[in-house]
Amino acid sequence: MRSFVRLVVAAVAVMALPLVAGANEKAEPDPAQSQYWPPIRQMMFGDKEIRDGKDVIRVYLNTRADDASTVPVSVKAQIDQSSGRYIKNVYLIVERNPSPAAGIFRFTPDSGRAQIETRLRFEDFSFVRAIAETNDGELYMSSKWVKAAGGCSAPADKNRMPANLVGTMKFRFADETVEASKPALVQLMIRHPNESALAMDFDSSKVPQFVRHVSVTYAGRPVMDADVDFSISDNPSFRFYFIPEKEGALEATVEDTHDKRYVHKAVIVEGVPLPGG
Amino acid sequence: MGNGGTGLGYRVLFVTPLVCDPYSMQRHPAAIALAIVLVVCFSSVRAETDPLDGFTVEEVAPGNHVHRGSLDDRSPANAGDQANSGFIIGERCVAVIDPGGSLRVGQALRAALRGITDKPVCYVIITHTHPDHFFGAAAFRPDNATVVGHENLPRALGQRARPYLKSLERDLGDLAAGSDVVPPTLLVKDEITLDLGGRTIVLHAWPPAHTDNDLTVFDTATATLWLGDLLFAEHTPVVDGTITGFIRVIDQLAGIEVRQFVPGHGRTALPWPDALKPQQEYLQLIVRETRAAIKARRTIEEAVDTVGLSEASKWAAFDRFHRRNVTAAYAELEWEE
Repeated sequence: MRSFVRLVVAAVAVMALPLVAGANEKAEPDPAQSQYWPPIRQMMFGDKEIRDGKDVIRVYLNTRADDASTVPVSVKAQIDQSSGRYIKNVYLIVERNPSPAAGIFRFTPDSGRAQIETRLRFEDFSFVRAIAETNDGELYMSSKWVKAAGGCSAPADKNRMPANLVGTMKFRFADETVEASKPALVQLMIRHPNESALAMDFDSSKVPQFVRHVSVTYAGRPVMDADVDFSISDNPSFRFYFIPEKEGALEATVEDTHDKRYVHKAVIVEGVPLPGG
Repeated sequence: MGNGGTGLGYRVLFVTPLVCDPYSMQRHPAAIALAIVLVVCFSSVRAETDPLDGFTVEEVAPGNHVHRGSLDDRSPANAGDQANSGFIIGERCVAVIDPGGSLRVGQALRAALRGITDKPVCYVIITHTHPDHFFGAAAFRPDNATVVGHENLPRALGQRARPYLKSLERDLGDLAAGSDVVPPTLLVKDEITLDLGGRTIVLHAWPPAHTDNDLTVFDTATATLWLGDLLFAEHTPVVDGTITGFIRVIDQLAGIEVRQFVPGHGRTALPWPDALKPQQEYLQLIVRETRAAIKARRTIEEAVDTVGLSEASKWAAFDRFHRRNVTAAYAELEWEE
């Protein structure tokens, strides 16, 4: 069902392309005036009100991106992830990508903070939109204009990844050790070509192989769960928080469009040095 | 190469054809006068505004003619003339190396070539998949030349042609017209030798470095090495393949006996192989500082904001390419154990 929504969103966005063919691509447009946004908004959120997100969710990336195939982005909650009120979903949208919904990230109070850092591909100059959905169902949005183009079609596997490496994973921890009950930042790295549907060698019979689902648990409880797409750069990277206890296992499960499933696990003990440097 | 002082300059003028009706002119002297005024005005306007007016090539070694592209951003002011390009003339025919960044640049190069020789163009060699090097190939279609590239080139062109053409149009507007991808028909795996008549050139396909389809051309008669973007002079080196692979390939290049050489961008007064050093030092600095940032658990954004800034004053276009190099380096090096 989720994939269906994404497909429909992609189709609507592509149909909308000719509407703005004559737009001045050099000027920075007004996020409220973007003609790409209404159909995407309608498909994903219907008529639900979307409020200004600056006090709830913010999106950080460079306005002029350096490499359209690897654009670092951070989406950071401006509210605490308390059990009473928390961000349960973050939608990350690259309006003008062929499949605009780059990712839907799900958090719980156990996440510690609703924060996600990843790297995006940009097919064209585009607004990036981060929409937070709180546990009471309200929506908040922040947008940022990014000048980067051609990144969806850039070869995803310039260095030809050996097949046996695909799906290998690494955790990099932001700090050398963790403290029980204190939110800790970790980067999940996935060796994967994350093939773009646009980067195929004109072979339409081949299904592009990209990561579509990432699920991370700590001590068996969900921390971060995401539906993602080929708008995410090759070797997908996700950085997020979790709340460690004195000892517990952090476990990532990744599935791709070729129905391959990869699992990676790290046991974390309070005060014991962690990989990351 | 390097100084251009010994090079012969060839200036190519774009001649605006005078289209008129001789019959009506005979009958109306005023029309002739008007036509002359128009032609003079139009010509002078063109001379001032044609971005490729003054397109020159220099002979860096006997039969090896090089045009130096601009170090500036691509814009209508340079019509996409950014890469170094040129040709090697044999007894039988000519090999063009990197026909430039737009049809207009390719046409200017072809006109320069025709100002020097009438021999047919038998090969158009594309040193790698970047648009500033290949989009001019369309200008050589009338020559029916064999287009030559690295075995990985067709795949890379296939993936990138569409966004490259779109951004060319965005940057150049009308000046992009007619620029196109001409698919290579002769592919190089390892090495091949081409005969231009009394002169052979050796094409070498390198493992991933600047891109995954870098090709060098070596003129055996003069020991002149055309490096494509395996060597940047003046212009910030760009990593679109693998930074560690790039460094390894430069080490191998340094072992080749070369009398003259042509970088993909810019010029240098340094002799071979010292000319490779500034680029090698730049790439090694990025690797060193990026590894240190990763070890210190810094993020990719933090690395991009801090790594390699001491090189800023040494290179043109640093603002445009340096941060992307660090981005690519970080994404590559964070996987090292």
